[in-house]
Amino acid sequence: MTKKEKKSFNQSLAEWKLFIYNPTTGEFLGRTAKSWGLILLFYLVFYGFLAALFSFTMWAMLQTLNDEVPKYRDQIPSPGLTVFPKPVTALEYSFTVSDPESYKGYIEDLRKFLKPYESEEQKNLTACSDGALFEQKGPVYNACRFPLTLLQACSGVDDPDFGYSRGSPCVLVKMNRIIGLKPQGMPRIECTSKSENTASLSTYPFNGVIDLKYFPYYGKKLHVSYLQPLVAVQVSFNATSSTTNEVTVECKIDGSPNLKNQDDRDKFLGRVVFKVIARA
Amino acid sequence: MGKKTLEIYSVELSGTKDVEQTDKEDGKERYRGLKNCFHSKKDHHTEKLKKELDLDDHKLSIKELEKKYGTNIITGLSSTQAAELLAQNGPNALTPPKETPEIIKFLKQMVGGFSILLWIGAILCWIAYGIQYSMNKSSSLDDVYLGCVLALVVILTGIFAYYQEAKSTNIMSTFNKMIPQQAFVIRDSEKKTIPAEQLVVGDIVEIKGGDRVPADIRLLSAQGCKVDNSSLTGESEPQARSSEFTHDSLLETKNIAFYSTTCLEGTATGMVINTGDRTIIGQIASLASGVGNEKTPIAIEIEHFVHIVAGVAVSIGILFFIIAVSLKYQVLDAIIFLIGIIVANVPEGLLATVTVTLSLTAKRMAKKNCLVKNLEAVETLGSTSIICSDKTGTLTQNRMTVAHLWFDNQIFIADTSEDHSNQVFDQSSGTWASLSKIITLCNRAEFKPGQESVPIMKRIVVGDASETALLKFSEVILGDVMEIRKRNHKVAEIPFNSTNKFQLSIHKTDDPNDKRFLMVMKGAPERILEKCSTIMVNGQEQPLDKSTAEAFHTAYMELGGLGERVLGFCHLYLPADEFPETYTFDVDAINFPTSNLCFVGLLSMIDPPRSTVPDAVTKCRSAGIKVIMVTGDHPITAKAIAKSVGIISANSETVEDIAKRLHIAVEQVNKRDAKAAVVTGAELKDMSPEQLDELLTNYSEIVFARTSPQQKLIIVEGCQRQNAVVAVTGDGVNDSPALKKADIGIAMGIAGSDAAKNAADMVLLDDNFASIVTGVEEGRLIFDNLKKTIAYTLTKNIAELCPFLIYIIVGLPLPIGTITILFIDLGTDIIPSIALAYEKAESDIMNRKPRHKKKDRLVNEQLAIYSYLHIGLIQAVGGFVVYFTVYAQEGFKPNILINLRVEWEDSNVNDLEDSYGQQWTWYQRKYLEWTGYTAFFVGIMVQQIADLIIRKTRRNSIFQQGLFRNKVIWVGIASQIIIALILSYGLGSITALNFTMLRPQYWFVAVPYAILIWVYDEVRKLFIRLYPGSWWEKNMYY
Repeated sequence: MTKKEKKSFNQSLAEWKLFIYNPTTGEFLGRTAKSWGLILLFYLVFYGFLAALFSFTMWAMLQTLNDEVPKYRDQIPSPGLTVFPKPVTALEYSFTVSDPESYKGYIEDLRKFLKPYESEEQKNLTACSDGALFEQKGPVYNACRFPLTLLQACSGVDDPDFGYSRGSPCVLVKMNRIIGLKPQGMPRIECTSKSENTASLSTYPFNGVIDLKYFPYYGKKLHVSYLQPLVAVQVSFNATSSTTNEVTVECKIDGSPNLKNQDDRDKFLGRVVFKVIARA
Repeated sequence: MGKKTLEIYSVELSGTKDVEQTDKEDGKERYRGLKNCFHSKKDHHTEKLKKELDLDDHKLSIKELEKKYGTNIITGLSSTQAAELLAQNGPNALTPPKETPEIIKFLKQMVGGFSILLWIGAILCWIAYGIQYSMNKSSSLDDVYLGCVLALVVILTGIFAYYQEAKSTNIMSTFNKMIPQQAFVIRDSEKKTIPAEQLVVGDIVEIKGGDRVPADIRLLSAQGCKVDNSSLTGESEPQARSSEFTHDSLLETKNIAFYSTTCLEGTATGMVINTGDRTIIGQIASLASGVGNEKTPIAIEIEHFVHIVAGVAVSIGILFFIIAVSLKYQVLDAIIFLIGIIVANVPEGLLATVTVTLSLTAKRMAKKNCLVKNLEAVETLGSTSIICSDKTGTLTQNRMTVAHLWFDNQIFIADTSEDHSNQVFDQSSGTWASLSKIITLCNRAEFKPGQESVPIMKRIVVGDASETALLKFSEVILGDVMEIRKRNHKVAEIPFNSTNKFQLSIHKTDDPNDKRFLMVMKGAPERILEKCSTIMVNGQEQPLDKSTAEAFHTAYMELGGLGERVLGFCHLYLPADEFPETYTFDVDAINFPTSNLCFVGLLSMIDPPRSTVPDAVTKCRSAGIKVIMVTGDHPITAKAIAKSVGIISANSETVEDIAKRLHIAVEQVNKRDAKAAVVTGAELKDMSPEQLDELLTNYSEIVFARTSPQQKLIIVEGCQRQNAVVAVTGDGVNDSPALKKADIGIAMGIAGSDAAKNAADMVLLDDNFASIVTGVEEGRLIFDNLKKTIAYTLTKNIAELCPFLIYIIVGLPLPIGTITILFIDLGTDIIPSIALAYEKAESDIMNRKPRHKKKDRLVNEQLAIYSYLHIGLIQAVGGFVVYFTVYAQEGFKPNILINLRVEWEDSNVNDLEDSYGQQWTWYQRKYLEWTGYTAFFVGIMVQQIADLIIRKTRRNSIFQQGLFRNKVIWVGIASQIIIALILSYGLGSITALNFTMLRPQYWFVAVPYAILIWVYDEVRKLFIRLYPGSWWEKNMYY
């Protein structure tokens, strides 16, 4: 039995060798050189053609697009809310007041983020009138100024540490940009802390108002140097206990009927929940 | 059953009385063959069987028997005794072959084919979730769902396959259910009728003509009892049974009647000596189960195909697992990719589709009288390269029919077609008038009453085969035979017996002016001629001289040479003075002349070929199928039938024919000159396997005559050694080993025994050879169509797989989800792939050679490459175009998508910027991703429509095949579109399914690619047709 198996193994080895190169027919891996040439040529042509066709259809498809405005905006009817800086772990701002290293990252991010909002940068922008949509017909689209001072204590002007060093950190809440979005009513960001006793919240600008003059947005290409309206939330812990202070904050868009803030599936549609943990 | 048995009794059983002499020696040989079979089969059986066969019940006297079995031949067993014995030995029935327990069958479906891969996928899903859960308690349940869905898919397809199989088995079991056989038994001194199942050893039973022998019986008394042992020995000649012990061997002695054989005529009383599985038949039937069932060719093909696909799936999976890990993906992610790749690669619905396709064909074949027991056998028939066919009943009509007449020195041909409608011979001669009278009167056969509305040829007749033939023949030509007989009242009769070899009757004539009696006689021609001194020519009596005798002999030899059974007819008008009207004839004393009669004519009969058979044989020949006739009949008859149906073609000769033509000895003939061969069982017995191989390869036209059913097994094995796929027909119990051994065993539905039907893969409901050929055609068609189905199904697997690969390497948001893939595989694609089963053949599939088992694979390299690397890739590209379109028009241009994967999937990133500066939350992106899935899904679906259309043909243009000939294809296309519409618009709101409502225009984005697929395939086919045998065909024809 074993003998037979061995033989068949040798045989199959010989068969394999013959398959890899067959000297009589000149076949390499079952094909002659000519056949290999043809097959390679065929696939070169075939795939070349396919690639060309793909490129062409993609090109044709891209021609249907508008550079300024996406063809459809149905999938983002209502903006999401996000917070800045991006916490290291999921929506948890955790830092130690006494250790500047622990919040250095946040501060740097905030500074970088607020750079375009500095007054020198805004020189060329329009000072728009408050409380009304700033609709434009083009061809040049102007961006409205967003004075950094609106953020008051969180503007980083007076306090370069954005309150982190004092244990009352600032977090920016911003609304996602959506081209053509025109909020109705008086949209504002309302933030509440889940446990009112431990911390009080201050929102800047006053009452968390988002002025209508920043809408509608006309897109990256047209609306160059557009500044997104911001709302800052400062968390001040009531008890200045030496140990850890913790609070969960929920911010929502309010006062505008067409901006949703309640969706079962999308936890960030018009609202955002974050947690601040400040250690002494 | 009762009715059926009667039919068997009344129709012909292929006897040939004119070969009785040779019969005697050969009969013994055949029995020896049977014993050899016992000895050569499985060793552990042998000892037991020998012992059983050593039964000496036939040698015992009645007294000894009574003592042995504790019974009394007058009073029979008592009911209590019988009940005890019944409890002890079990019912008198054959144990059906052992069936695999249902649960095992079910579990087999659960792990067979691709199921194991999907199980692995499901388990990996759960493992992945387990790991996720251990790291993050709030991890999403998606993987668990996917695992469950995969498990569900396996279970559902398993249940489906199991159900299909059970359904086809059910057809058989209903078929098997017969009216229980009754037996007439003496118990408690009373005659009663009980179900044959309840018979026990020692019972005294009575049998009469038409009954099936209910058990092995030692005859105690018999009156003119004849049995048909053909189901046991293949011997179709009726055999006389008596109570005398005539032979040492149990099998050959006349005082034993065997279970399941038929009593043809007479009555007999006997004692049951064996019941159920202990009967001779039972033992043979259990031998058949020892012969292993061969794997069907299609099972091998499907296994081969599963291996290919599984191989591709696993190797791509592992390759990309490694790539993913080396691209710094987390192992967990890599596992999930692996699952996706497996799911994308495995055509989940295909095996179910194949099952449905096969059962559709099985249904179609059932309509054409081929009942398929084993679904896979559907295709086996198509790959058949040798058919070993029985003669009687399969190739022939299974009834004796008058074929030739000889009178007035002339041979006339009678119409032997199934309805006898066209009798063209000259009926004006006076000789015919006399001959027809003899035929009508000298005949004891009668129609069963109450059949006036039945066509003559289909009426049931009580009487033996030749008499039946004559009765029907005369009824067709002369009209109401019974009326003629009534008018010519029969006054005396000597029935046929084998010593006299003639039959005689004396009648009053229907001519009122003629007071003479007419004596009519028929019998073996030479015997009849001996008794004659005159011969009738043109209605005139002439003295029988040497030249007329010579003419008679020439005619007799000629008809005999055709393999026909010849009967001579003569008559004599008894002189009225010697035999007045009141004369009493005494048939024992024979007080009337039986010599110096007037010879009228000869009539020859044959069991004629079915009219459809020659055509079918020609079809087989052009289809490259060798038809071998295997029969128990005499070589001359066998050869004659073989010639008339074309198994031996008109211009081919056997060695013997050449010898005869050249007037040389058989040994001197160059064997290579002969194409045909007629081999007898005796010759076959002396052949070594090598010689048999040589015979089978050297001769294209072979007839095996005088073979026993056991030798059939040898022939089948010989054919299989030639690498042929062998189909075997059989009806007897003894055929069952051969039926099992054959690649496809075909049992006869009418004449077949239960054991044969059990062993067979297919049952021929009309016993007609031509039905086999239609079956072959269907089998070949299904093979072609399965190829198309598989090609169709495999294609989109690449389109499903590519997204995963691109996703892993390029980091695009996932173009198509696993669940969506399952919706293609098990949703939109199912009905179209079944629809391909309805496709008509592209060209005459009966004009090509049977497929080579090893070379012509179901799934070959070309098919896989063309499906995967050509059409599949086009589909993938088309799918991506739709995908990119959706993303771009919603704001994500292709360039920004590249390497976006990590951020895209991060649920903490809720302000991801698109190409226009808009920001998206995670859920908004997810929703867009699902829209992408739906778009890709629709893209594949649209291109699968084109794929479906191109798969209609492999060589011909679609326009040659006709776009609308197969309506089911359009049902398939409609179903595809409707299912997709429902998924997108109807179920678009169910998040778990990951479908969204797609903008109407996206349904058309892939259309150019669908058109490309069609055009490309037309070009491929055009070149294949233009340059047959070229490099192109070798690489592109699948």
